Amino acid sequence: MDILSFGQLVVSGAFMGLVYALIAYGFQLTYATSRTTNFGQGELVTASALVALSITHLGLPYGLMLPCGLGFGALAGLAMERTAVRIALQEKSEGWIMLTIIVGLFIHSTCENIWGQADRPFPTPIPSEAFQVLGIAITPLELSVALGALGVMGLIELFKRRTLLGKAVQAVAADPEAAGLMGISARRAVMLSYALSGMVAALAGILVAPITTVGPPMASGLVLKAFSVAVVAGLDSGFGAILVGMFLGGLENLTSFLVGSGWRETPGLALLILTLAVRPNGLFGRAAIRKV
Amino acid sequence: MGSPPLFTLILALSALSLRAGDTLLIALTGAFSGGSATQGTSMRDGARLAIQEINAAGGIPVGRHHLRIRVLERDDEGKNERGALIAQELASMAALSGVIGTVNTGVALAGDKYFEHKGITKLVTPCAGSQCMAQWSRAGVRNLSIFRFGVNDGIQSAMAVAELTRRGLTRVALLHDSTNYGVSGRDDLLREIRAQGKVQVVALEKFNMGDRDMTAQLLKARTGGAQAVLVWGQGLEAAIIANGMAKLGLKVPLIGSSALASSNFTETAGRNGNGTLMPETFIEEPINPPVAAFLARFHKAYRVTRIAAPMAAAQGYDCVKIFAAAVQQAQSADTRRIKEALEDLREPVAGVIAIWRHPFSRWNPADLQTHEAFRQDQAVMGMVLDGRIVFSDPADRDRLSRATTP
Repeated sequence: MDILSFGQLVVSGAFMGLVYALIAYGFQLTYATSRTTNFGQGELVTASALVALSITHLGLPYGLMLPCGLGFGALAGLAMERTAVRIALQEKSEGWIMLTIIVGLFIHSTCENIWGQADRPFPTPIPSEAFQVLGIAITPLELSVALGALGVMGLIELFKRRTLLGKAVQAVAADPEAAGLMGISARRAVMLSYALSGMVAALAGILVAPITTVGPPMASGLVLKAFSVAVVAGLDSGFGAILVGMFLGGLENLTSFLVGSGWRETPGLALLILTLAVRPNGLFGRAAIRKV
Repeated sequence: MGSPPLFTLILALSALSLRAGDTLLIALTGAFSGGSATQGTSMRDGARLAIQEINAAGGIPVGRHHLRIRVLERDDEGKNERGALIAQELASMAALSGVIGTVNTGVALAGDKYFEHKGITKLVTPCAGSQCMAQWSRAGVRNLSIFRFGVNDGIQSAMAVAELTRRGLTRVALLHDSTNYGVSGRDDLLREIRAQGKVQVVALEKFNMGDRDMTAQLLKARTGGAQAVLVWGQGLEAAIIANGMAKLGLKVPLIGSSALASSNFTETAGRNGNGTLMPETFIEEPINPPVAAFLARFHKAYRVTRIAAPMAAAQGYDCVKIFAAAVQQAQSADTRRIKEALEDLREPVAGVIAIWRHPFSRWNPADLQTHEAFRQDQAVMGMVLDGRIVFSDPADRDRLSRATTP
């Protein structure tokens, strides 16, 4: 394999890996505040992309469709928290696992009934003609995925670190009981994290839809890989998710080229098993210290 | 006091039985949703149009009655297990006269055995790979009720390889999906390539339904010096390949199966799809008055300006016409007698793909052609041009036009 082919495989895979990372970041946001992960995250990706597609068909420009789609994602995240997570947290049970799956299935069925099962192209004003960087072909669409993913993750991290509300979320993530004693509402922090997680899912859907097309099954493959990325990186490391996502994307392409396209999915699974065996908290995760 | 309601009930049941006697029950099955839905829904809409026309003309004359066609529609979603369940359900219906449909090879392989077991006549259309008929030959079935109404993979493969030879291309990459359809198509292509002996496969790669990044497969094609890419799969994945080729600057011909002639290929590939070639039996062009009339009726009935998968729509339409002709010849709604009539159809049937003269003959396990309607001279090479499928060779327009002119 020549160096250009190697570079092309790694770069193309890394761009796709950033989508995994973005969805994985959505898992991390909710895990940080409530120690819950939304197993219906993939359905939020799909539903938001389909809503955005319908908005586009109404004739609204891309600039207006984007905030509407993100707004829908945030609302859908809030609805998920209200219907599937809050009750389980109040009961201090693990019922959120089944409930998020069930609400996800409900969203999936609703999407099928409204939009049908067919995949359809997602119009975008971003050109798809590739340009060359050091002999490696990159499309503006791929670049938009990278900029969008990194941009929104950077903004959310800034929000968490530099704003009072963000610091409140961080406080709940660190110690919900102590945060509560300081007058911070853990319930609202969890709500906010689910809204942000839904918004991140919507952005992932809107960014990737012009490349993958949009339809109810669009996120089923993506979300499994994203979950692997979140676990391998550690459920509390956004930066780790980016690195692991890009690494996994590149590795998938290299495996497909060197071993065979039928083995494409293998690295993600191998990485997941290895990490769970060697570093259960993830490569970038912190080990939880619990007083006994 | 009890007799008037009883009398009414008996009268109603008699009326119902009389009505049932005046109808012909057929099932339309296929992927009406999911990844192959473009083919399935177009076939269904073409079939519905033919049924509507037959019923509007009073139905099929059988004895002193005119049988109106009643349709059961079942969406198998392109899923093998769902196709098997639907086939079991339909095969248990005593009143069923026949089945038309199936897009996916796996669905046909999973379900058609139930129809064959009960002797229910089925016309497989619009696609499904050659395995769906070859299985009966291998099993040595003596009296087969399954017919195929679609240009088989062997013919398509021969056309694709002949196109390479005609262009003087000797190094080719073969990309196929991992479904029964893709694997069956790959085998047919490899067999044809070996038989012709002039083309070398420099990359043999597969992909899964739903894969959205084909960089690795295409880089193998480029590294191997492929002068053309052959693809056997559904329209959407083929569009991802076309887009990937444009991205990597792989400017070589893309040749695929007839499944590429669908809107999910042309819309998703956009300009990158231009020049893509695929074997076709029908092109959405008003090449003569019968075809122009069909297109006008279809566009009006479904309020479209373009048919999502024109070939599938035309096959669905012609398939119903042939089935109706067999019912008329058999003078019966009995599925076994319809099958016998299909094997010896005496009157020509005017369709929009061809005037069908004796399309099938008595089943011979050693000769699949006996239950295959299409021959190579009924297929032409279609080409994508700005979102439409056009004739690759303008001379083929006259050839197809003659086929539908009395």
